[in-house]
Amino acid sequence: MSAPSVEKGIRFIREQIDAPVASFFSACVHCGLCAEACLFYTQTQDPRYTPIHKVALMRRVWESEFTLWGRIKSALGLTKPITEADFTEWETLVYDGCSLCGRCSLVCPVGNDISGMIRKVREGFAAAGHAPEGLIGATTRAIEIGSPMGVRLPALQAQIRHIQESTGLEISLDRPGVEYMALLSSMEIMNFPEYLEAIARILRQAGKSWTISSKAFEATNSGIQIGASDLARVLVQRIVDAAEELGVKMVISPECGHGYTAIRWDGPNLIGRPYKFKVKHILELLDEFREQGLIQTQGLEEARLSFHDPCQIARKGGVVRQPRALLGLVAANFVEMSDAGAMNWCCGGGGGVSANERADALRLTAFKQKKAQLDALKVDTLVTACANCRITLEEGLEANDMNIPVIGLTEMIAEHLVETDRIEEKSA
Amino acid sequence: MADDITLGESLRRRGLTRRDFMGFCAAATSVMALPPALIPQVAAALEAAKRPSVIWLSFQECTGCTESLTRSHAPTVEGLIFDFISLDYHHTLQAAAGEAAEQAREEAMKANHGKYILIVDGAIPLGENGNYSAIAGVSNLAMLKEAAAGAAAIIAIGTCAAYGGLPMAAPNPTGAVPVSEIIKDKPIVNVPGCPPIPTVITGVLAHFLVFGALPALDRLGRPLAFYGQNIHDRCYRRPFYERGQFAETFDDEGARKGWCLYKLGCKGPITYNACATTKWNEGTSFPIQSGHGCIGCSEPGFWDFGGLYKALSAPPGNAGATVASAAAIGIATGALAAALNRSNKKAAAKAHEALGVKDLGKGS
Repeated sequence: MSAPSVEKGIRFIREQIDAPVASFFSACVHCGLCAEACLFYTQTQDPRYTPIHKVALMRRVWESEFTLWGRIKSALGLTKPITEADFTEWETLVYDGCSLCGRCSLVCPVGNDISGMIRKVREGFAAAGHAPEGLIGATTRAIEIGSPMGVRLPALQAQIRHIQESTGLEISLDRPGVEYMALLSSMEIMNFPEYLEAIARILRQAGKSWTISSKAFEATNSGIQIGASDLARVLVQRIVDAAEELGVKMVISPECGHGYTAIRWDGPNLIGRPYKFKVKHILELLDEFREQGLIQTQGLEEARLSFHDPCQIARKGGVVRQPRALLGLVAANFVEMSDAGAMNWCCGGGGGVSANERADALRLTAFKQKKAQLDALKVDTLVTACANCRITLEEGLEANDMNIPVIGLTEMIAEHLVETDRIEEKSA
Repeated sequence: MADDITLGESLRRRGLTRRDFMGFCAAATSVMALPPALIPQVAAALEAAKRPSVIWLSFQECTGCTESLTRSHAPTVEGLIFDFISLDYHHTLQAAAGEAAEQAREEAMKANHGKYILIVDGAIPLGENGNYSAIAGVSNLAMLKEAAAGAAAIIAIGTCAAYGGLPMAAPNPTGAVPVSEIIKDKPIVNVPGCPPIPTVITGVLAHFLVFGALPALDRLGRPLAFYGQNIHDRCYRRPFYERGQFAETFDDEGARKGWCLYKLGCKGPITYNACATTKWNEGTSFPIQSGHGCIGCSEPGFWDFGGLYKALSAPPGNAGATVASAAAIGIATGALAAALNRSNKKAAAKAHEALGVKDLGKGS
């Protein structure tokens, strides 16, 4: 195994250049619309955060090696080679100044997937040894321990025991032949245990059989965030192996944005084959239960509340209608945020930014975008469906002395759930 | 002869009911492309108008324009001639013949000097001192100049009078010219078409009656109300053109399905007329609807467009071979570049060393 180096980084970038990337660079008209779509640019006004500029190193590789003029210029020695200093300079743009939220890709008038290219160029940075310390640590823990936050199985078992004792709910581990396998994010195990209790109550009420795998309970995928497909594949493979071994029909992605992207969209491409099971986000599933009349709610939240659309779930996952339908069940005073749905502004902590301590100050600056949206709304409560958004929003609100509680939507539905004494579990 | 009494009085004397009169006003209003709200004003104007004297001169023509006029339905030609104008000279329609006919013309010109409307159909030959065409021993050129001198306005009916038409087609043996080449000091309205749509002819006359002035004209002297729109733009077959669905011959599948006739030489895209909207024979049909392309008869020089069945812009020369060889060179170049790029990417993928967590550390 060769040591990280500039050459290795360039080689990894070269490997990522495919027909879409070539046509994106050829098609770019330098209009600058992506800058206005990026919260890191709008809140800093620093042109270096223009999304297309963040992939400048990839453009240089493409230009010098994949275009006719670039080849001629390289042959004549007119191309400026990419150096260690370039990687150092762009590292903060690629990791600290991008949450892979995908808003730039949506506004690009020529349809360039800029966010997708930033994800690709991170492969080169990771191979060149230019990934941020925080993400390296998280990825190492994810591979070696099974969780980016270092959560081990006993911690999960302790949570399960605690829930079982306080509520009497049955939560099984490694039960084969059930319908659903639920995933959790470390954040949910450590910071928001309400989520696990909520799905246990809802699935029991809906009469669904489900389990959690002791080998693959973690939904997050640090390999996706750091930009190392080799490691992302290992993490996805664990879930696929566990789900196929248990023979479940569906894997439920929890309230975790990039975890959903990883298992739902990137996963089959990473392992190179289709799954033998389906994947749905918990909100998709809850809305199906609502439509089928499997769950009923009672009482309404009187607080004025709004919903923060997690980028990976709404913009990249298309789950926009479902949270509104679910909030319709339980919220009396729901107000829509400006740019809600597919164009919502990121919390600022996605794409590995929240795991990268170096980016803390920048993340809080970027949060001003969300603050402006919230200031205009004047809500009492904010609801979301991503544990990472939730922790980022909580930190941002605290830093700005804003007293707005942030709640997970699944947990809010569970609070209003009509529970009957005995529900026969239907077999899968 | 033109009466001194108003149109309203004249009509009442002839026993026309108020209902008939309003019916005519409504028809005239719509023909002039005016909003229905103007019908009362049109009625008031017509009520007070004087029946103008009209002299119709036919020169190098085929009588097709007169044939068209007699098929006008709104207003009918009888209504027009007997009720609204005083057609004092028209050698196809008048009862008089020989010297009596020419006398009627001269009397009308004298009595209404400076007030009558002169309608001309046909071109005027200038070759051989204008002797190619004469009526009662007077050359067309001399008769036009004499009649124009006392006219309030001239209406050039048909493409021959308006732009020279068929008589002026190359090589133009008689030296034919349109009215506007000879008369420069009178207002002229061109009502081109071979022939013009009948309601367009009567519509222009009705406009003159109602407003006492000529209608707004385009750069070719045509009334905008009738010639303001392109046949192609208003053609019901336009959607087929947009989709690239063309009839290639007059008996193929496309022709049967009613696809666009562009490739069969339709001149709709360069022709301005009301055929596609007003249509012919009381709104029954128009050439494209009956399966034949527009021949562009209301445009100057239509007879010299270069063939009725030649598409407006067919690629010149052997374009197919040129395009094919250019495409072949392009494809070969592209394939070579793609192969080079693919091998470049492949080499990088081959050299790929799977990244482990130990490889993530800081570079040297």
